Amino acid sequence: MGMFRIYPKILMILAGASMALMAVGQYAIWYHAPEELTMGLVQKIFYFHLPLAWWSFVAFFGVCVSSVMVLWTGREHWDVLAGVMAEVGVLFSGLALVTGSIWGRAAWNTWWTWDPRLSTTLVMWFVYAGYLVLRSADVGGTKGAKMRAVLGIVAFVDVPLVFLSARLWRSIHPAVLASKGGGLEPEMWTAVWINVLAWGALFATLVLARYHGAGLKRRVEAALIRIQEKTLQ
Amino acid sequence: MISSSLAIARKDLRLAFAGGQGPVQAVLLGLLLVFIFSLSAAPGERFSAQQAMAIFWLCSSFGVVLIFSLLFRFEEENDTATALLLSPLPVQSLWLGKTLAGLMLLLLCQVFFFPAALVFLGLDPGSNPAGLVLMVLAVDVGLCVLGGLIGAMGHGQGAKDALLTIIVFPLQIPILLGGIRIGVGLMQGTPLGGLADWFGLVMAFDAVFAGAALFLFPHVFRGE
Amino acid sequence: MSSGSILTLRAVSHFFGSRLIFKGVSCELEPGSIMLVAGPNGAGKTTLLKIMAGLTPPRAGTVERKVPDRAMAFMGHQTFVYPALSALGNLEFWNSVYGRGLDDAALFGLLDRVGLKGFALESAGTFSRGMAQRLSLARVLLVEPELLFLDEPSTGLDTASQALLHGELEAARRRGAGIVWISHDLERDLGRADMVLGLGGRGMSYFGPAQGFFPEGA
Repeated sequence: MGMFRIYPKILMILAGASMALMAVGQYAIWYHAPEELTMGLVQKIFYFHLPLAWWSFVAFFGVCVSSVMVLWTGREHWDVLAGVMAEVGVLFSGLALVTGSIWGRAAWNTWWTWDPRLSTTLVMWFVYAGYLVLRSADVGGTKGAKMRAVLGIVAFVDVPLVFLSARLWRSIHPAVLASKGGGLEPEMWTAVWINVLAWGALFATLVLARYHGAGLKRRVEAALIRIQEKTLQ
Repeated sequence: MISSSLAIARKDLRLAFAGGQGPVQAVLLGLLLVFIFSLSAAPGERFSAQQAMAIFWLCSSFGVVLIFSLLFRFEEENDTATALLLSPLPVQSLWLGKTLAGLMLLLLCQVFFFPAALVFLGLDPGSNPAGLVLMVLAVDVGLCVLGGLIGAMGHGQGAKDALLTIIVFPLQIPILLGGIRIGVGLMQGTPLGGLADWFGLVMAFDAVFAGAALFLFPHVFRGE
Repeated sequence: MSSGSILTLRAVSHFFGSRLIFKGVSCELEPGSIMLVAGPNGAGKTTLLKIMAGLTPPRAGTVERKVPDRAMAFMGHQTFVYPALSALGNLEFWNSVYGRGLDDAALFGLLDRVGLKGFALESAGTFSRGMAQRLSLARVLLVEPELLFLDEPSTGLDTASQALLHGELEAARRRGAGIVWISHDLERDLGRADMVLGLGGRGMSYFGPAQGFFPEGA
């Protein structure tokens, strides 16, 4: 019960931190990091793309861990956390795909190329978007939490296989690949790390906000049931 | 566990063919897909081996979904699922039995898909039929292992089992890529040794999802 | 705690979500006895039976069965019959699942016992409810259970089928089987029971000898 009082405070702190970090991150991107010689301004996309991709991967890993905990402990809040992680993961990987596509257009003159990392992200986006649809459709009824947990684990187990297959696939179809992110200047790395941190703070904010919201929703529903039961008696 | 799995598989195959139906729905849908895709080429134009293999595996992928939806529907009428859970049968043998039955039905479907691909898509089977059979078997095992696990989730869900396809198809992608690439390689005369990477990937898929299914299936199928 | 009991429940409670169904159910079942489970609709009789049979884990409390799964049978309103298989085909399947190793002659004998010998090769999908339930009874007889769970098995059965069912239950009890039986028709079935477990008011309202049980409103 106490956590319901504490969460809003943590949320405020996290939200404040992400705002501040984002501001510093933007400054680092546009003023601190030098412009890349061959690609020019477009290279700045990289500072958005990389943190988004990383954190989406963390989110999907989080779905898997929470799902294992559902099966292990049977506690409902792990199921809620898995769903929240998947939501943020799909959002972040979707944005990573869009930024990656824009990058590809600028760097390789194509909106889409069979880059193993990009392809893996796309397949994962499909898998977890499907996972979210199944969650919202309430597949499984009373044993829904376990079903969702199994899906969450299976989805993550698939990830390395997708990556391996995407890499093997490309090795026969060589794509025009510039070395991505290779040879970064120290100022560029600073910008990368600040932005990874900033998006991490935003990630935590979003996860906690959704998690807290889901908890509040459950409390309201439980209270409504109690009121109904009282009036029936 | 093996003998009870075989009992399940035998029973399911008997049920599948009891009405003279078998996997007719899956076969027809696959044939229809092959035919429709054949329209995407100009008359007289041949499909590349890669296009033809991709279409072949697409048909198989749809087939798997229909087959496992059928297999788990058998346990819904008169609640035989509960009877199975009450029986001394290890739950995993139910998964294994369904997977075996599904594998048989899928192979049967492919007996129709493959000639259809030859005729409609101008597929050239190449000179290594044994390698092709090996590849199809290895990929089918992976598809059915996953189908048996996810199919059980549709059990007792009414129309919702159709929704499961949106997660099954993306999960299948690695093994479908494997099937396409090995098939193309074999038809173009690549020796099996040259495709070891891909065979490794397909086997890894089979093993990883078989392990996951053995571990996770009881959670899916048991009540509450 | 009597050591002879084959099924022991201690302080079993169950919820649907956060709704309490019943709490504090404790009972014992001796071999060779029939325990009747009585109670109004919604008291959780079927849920309790599923907990006893190990289908549903209880939210609290313990269930102890001293009988292996292969000597346990369940008969409910669902017939557990595969409609696309013949009567004999159904029995053959359960024969292999339970590892009984009976030959076809023995299976025909079971069908004869439940009055379905003439329909052995007909598809069970064409059976009436009564016939399907007789087939279900044949499946139970095949198992030769030491522990038998019944969830209103006589619903929709004609007099002859009911007599058949009651005869076989009596035979199973004499053989030493423990039987847990949910019945709606207490007037009819109370005389056949040794013990009664009454559910009601979100808990156990009675557990004791059948002679001492007076149903509410009776």
